[in-house]
Amino acid sequence: MLLDGLTILYHRPSGMTHILVTPAPEILAALGDAPADPEELLRRICERFEIEAEDAAEAVAARLAELEAAGLVRRA
Amino acid sequence: MSDGQEEQNPLVPSRRTVLALGAAAASTVVTIRPAFAQTAGSVMNCQIPIPASGMGGQMIAADGSVVPSGTPGAFPPLMRPLTGEEAKRLLQGGTPAGVDYQAAQAYANYIRRLQPGNGGYSCYASLQNRI
Repeated sequence: MLLDGLTILYHRPSGMTHILVTPAPEILAALGDAPADPEELLRRICERFEIEAEDAAEAVAARLAELEAAGLVRRA
Repeated sequence: MSDGQEEQNPLVPSRRTVLALGAAAASTVVTIRPAFAQTAGSVMNCQIPIPASGMGGQMIAADGSVVPSGTPGAFPPLMRPLTGEEAKRLLQGGTPAGVDYQAAQAYANYIRRLQPGNGGYSCYASLQNRI
């Protein structure tokens, strides 16, 4: 659900609600296509967006770490 | 896209959309844990003093009533309140460490006799549908 720029994600099995701000929803969408490592993920994102970051790889790693901590992504 | 023009899908950003990946120290996810889980946690950690404060020094009879100190067959008060988890086990027939079976039954009966306004009643009430 989109709410005033925020993406609200309800994880039914855990009952947890996650509030996401960009770029987390976009990263999840990119991972929704198929599993990917950080390099592949960044490639997919670059296909869809103009990236704004000092160090894109570092930023993607940081965002993935957040999503992993929230239980929204996991390492294969 | 046979005409070479990209179809516009309002749900899919165009290639020119700028995506700020943010700084490494930024945070883009806030997780709200389910209220039910928090409630369950607090119920298991609530406390039931046996007997309630204000009845210190009195003892617990086998039927769970509070009786004067020295009453034959009565059991001494617990040195510390039971947590909700401990009370739950007690009410299920468990015996806390260091407590004999008959005393444990007396304490369980005490809990079952708790009424609104008694110390520990709200904790006991919260346990009702978890036992």
